[in-house]
Amino acid sequence: MVEKQWYFDPSQPAEVPECLHDVLEKRGIPLSEIKLCLMTDLSPDMVRCDCWLLATDTHILVICGSMMLTSPQSRKKGYTPDRSFAEISYTVFELKEFAEFFVEEQIASIRLTAKRKEESTYQLLLNGSNTYRPSCQSAARFLKQLVEKGEIEPDKNGNKRDEVFCPKCGTRYVDKARKICPKCMDKNKIIRRMGSFLLRYRAHMIMILIALVLSSAIGVLSPYISSGFYFDEVLNISGKFYGQILMVLAMIVGTRLISVAISMFHNIVTSVVAAKLSYDLKKTIFTAIERLSISFYTNRQTGGLMAQVTNDANTIYWFFCDGVPYFLVNIVQIAVMLVIMLVMNPLLTLLALITVPLVFISIRMLFDKMGKLHAKRWAKSRGMNAILSDVLSGMRVVKAFSKEKDEIKRFRKSSLSVAEAEQNTSIFATLAFPGVNLLFSISNLIVLGAGGWMVIKGNMTYGMLLTFISYMNMIYSPMYSFVDMVSWFTDSLNAMSRLIEVMDAEPEVVEAENPKSLGDIRGHVEFRHVDFSYDKNRKIIDDVSFDLEAGHALGIVGHTGAGKSTLANLLIRLYDVTAGEILIDGINVKDISFEELRKHVAIVSQETYLFMGTILDNIRYARPDATYEEVIEAAKIAGAHDFIIKLPDGYSTMIGFGYKDLSGGERQRLSIARSILRDPKILILDEATAAMDTETERKIQTAIERLSKGRTTITIAHRLSTLRDADKLIVIENGKMPEAGTHLELINKKGIYYNLYKLQLDAMKNIGIEG
Amino acid sequence: MDENKNQTKKSLNEIVAIVYITKDNAVFEKKSDFLTLTLTAPNEEGVVETKTYERIFLHRAFPFDNPFSYISVLDKDNKEIGMISDLSVLAEEDAEAIRNELNRKYYTPVVKSIISMKDKFGFSYWKVMTDEGELSFTLHDTFHSLMKVDGGSRIFITDIDGNRYEIPDIEALDRKSYKKIELFL
Repeated sequence: MVEKQWYFDPSQPAEVPECLHDVLEKRGIPLSEIKLCLMTDLSPDMVRCDCWLLATDTHILVICGSMMLTSPQSRKKGYTPDRSFAEISYTVFELKEFAEFFVEEQIASIRLTAKRKEESTYQLLLNGSNTYRPSCQSAARFLKQLVEKGEIEPDKNGNKRDEVFCPKCGTRYVDKARKICPKCMDKNKIIRRMGSFLLRYRAHMIMILIALVLSSAIGVLSPYISSGFYFDEVLNISGKFYGQILMVLAMIVGTRLISVAISMFHNIVTSVVAAKLSYDLKKTIFTAIERLSISFYTNRQTGGLMAQVTNDANTIYWFFCDGVPYFLVNIVQIAVMLVIMLVMNPLLTLLALITVPLVFISIRMLFDKMGKLHAKRWAKSRGMNAILSDVLSGMRVVKAFSKEKDEIKRFRKSSLSVAEAEQNTSIFATLAFPGVNLLFSISNLIVLGAGGWMVIKGNMTYGMLLTFISYMNMIYSPMYSFVDMVSWFTDSLNAMSRLIEVMDAEPEVVEAENPKSLGDIRGHVEFRHVDFSYDKNRKIIDDVSFDLEAGHALGIVGHTGAGKSTLANLLIRLYDVTAGEILIDGINVKDISFEELRKHVAIVSQETYLFMGTILDNIRYARPDATYEEVIEAAKIAGAHDFIIKLPDGYSTMIGFGYKDLSGGERQRLSIARSILRDPKILILDEATAAMDTETERKIQTAIERLSKGRTTITIAHRLSTLRDADKLIVIENGKMPEAGTHLELINKKGIYYNLYKLQLDAMKNIGIEG
Repeated sequence: MDENKNQTKKSLNEIVAIVYITKDNAVFEKKSDFLTLTLTAPNEEGVVETKTYERIFLHRAFPFDNPFSYISVLDKDNKEIGMISDLSVLAEEDAEAIRNELNRKYYTPVVKSIISMKDKFGFSYWKVMTDEGELSFTLHDTFHSLMKVDGGSRIFITDIDGNRYEIPDIEALDRKSYKKIELFL
């Protein structure tokens, strides 16, 4: 079992666990000689056990075995149980035998291997599950230092150990940066957090509550007037108000009128709150989503997110506006009526309530089952929405391959499973009601029998019995509603926990708290040993370094998927580097505020997104305060002015979803105009012309040339002709940077660039153009 | 024109035809833990030559459908040397060594039953019994952490560290375990 204290930095010698001390002592190795201690969970034979790699100045020891608890486990703070170690294998290697150490990534595990100095053979040192990858990677680095320099150099950033466990329950933090243990957050807290959100509606909520209290007070009063009071005081000769039937009728009408007025008031208040609250919730969710880093979106399907925004807002609103007040009133009603019933006839009350424990037990069970059914229904409908948005956005491809039928089938299958889940939920609800009903009717029978007997014996008046029965039925209806309450409650809790998930999700790219100002930016860009990976399994960028003088142009060449665009995304911090640093004018991009960074760095990419709105709005997106002259000028430079002016509505032409469709080249030129208006000091052109025909490309090239004057330009392209003006070129292959230099240097090197160049030249020759 | 094209392709270091590795053109040898391969095959220029690769890496092309067929053999720079269409085309002991190596690379504990599962705030905490003993792991965005293969009956779970666990047949799980995972299917 993986436990807290075993996630450690391999360079900390003091970390050799106590249970290993015997093993070392037996071999006569003093603890002080251990320079490095690494733990993993897979032996060299891929057997799951507790494995250690220890290193001294001269040797590497690989010890496998199993750790056993010899004292009882306890959750007490600071308690470390005693352990013993049962050794299975012990292998020793000479440290100087090896030259290099690698962490080889397999599918779901890693292995630490070493390359021998003499012959070029490799030695497997240790395996481990992916959990241990970070510590194995540091270990490989430290081992190399140990071989080369005879000592371990602490990291520049300091060998800080990350707190990866919740101090309260020992659960691993899912996000090291977040330090929120999801396990230690409870449901009450969700409701409290939602409650605090709803506090701004407290005036409305109180009004709703008052209305509900009043209407239930009248509800409590009316059975007494229409049965107990009527029979015993009005119809009975000995009653105080004998014969005053009209007065009773007037009282009944009066209470009816009051209750109608109250319910009208209640409905008006609810409608007002409903609209406001629903809007507010949607806004909160949207703001929360907008704030997150790009990676949040790549991890989740957008369709699911849309469903989340609309459905959850409704559910939560519903819970707080209808559910909670109703629930509170029901409880008050039950309490009041119980008191009245007890005063009227304690014995009969006890008889009436005989079935209550049964009812509550069954409600408890329904609670669980209903919750599961609802969660399932939600998951299914989320899947269906995802399919829908998937197909709609890929309609072109679907049509091109005439896969409509298959898509219909796929959707039908998913929609069918939604229907099934819905059906299951409602069938269950329908079954649950009569079931509980049956329990109620049993106690009804008991009261009828026992009460009738009491009336005959003269212990109770006839009117009293009738009043009692009305109250009994009234007490059941709020209890009864608890069954329904169950599903509301679980639905809303699910919605709320999802909402909190979005609200709590920390953006992975965090803005510096005290950003440094770039001041008068020159536009000097430097990448220093930059590493990046989206997930832990694959390095996308591997040790890329380059230095780009202000005002110079850099060309990035490489195959599709080599990681070129990722470099651009790292520069504008859509993602953060996993190692190394990126500097603009000597300042780490992490220390620059988002606003300033994105003001000075602009990307023109192949993917142009135009928002719904006018062309003017779209160009001005980057700088809403730009004047008309500035917009026209920018459009002119971008080569967009001429086509815009030919449109019937000119710059006021509506574009975007459902409006005027612009061609790819036109869209591209608009997005260039947008960047020109921004006037960035650093310009990234990411395959800006890759999808264009030659004519359009030339137009855009000219636009770009005008744009890039006096700016630091990074051009990403696979057409080398696009890069002819670059002062410097780098070649990216599989995330690495195997070549860098000027065009001439790279040609002389006869490497990857040379091959690419020759290839494109050959292609030109093939169509009869001599290079 | 055709010749030109050929030259173009060659200069790109692209091999159009896939080299299939069989017992006739290849010798595998185990040298201190790892396999080496001596292969006689046409090189990039199309000339047949015999070359020894000190380290080879194996990669399944269809890891779920065909775990022991269409195995890509890569050199230490991750460049494909050739493919093994099926283990049966190799000598018996080589096939055994390759099978062994594949099993190690694709190490995945098989889940026998689910002891507990708690789902909170987009993360779920699992404790499962596997063929490797009891293991616990954490998933982020559970629904998407479960990869459904073979029409949904076979499940691969990827946890936040990137470890994988397999449920070979979801229907074969006991009822209690099934109920715990049902929600995410």
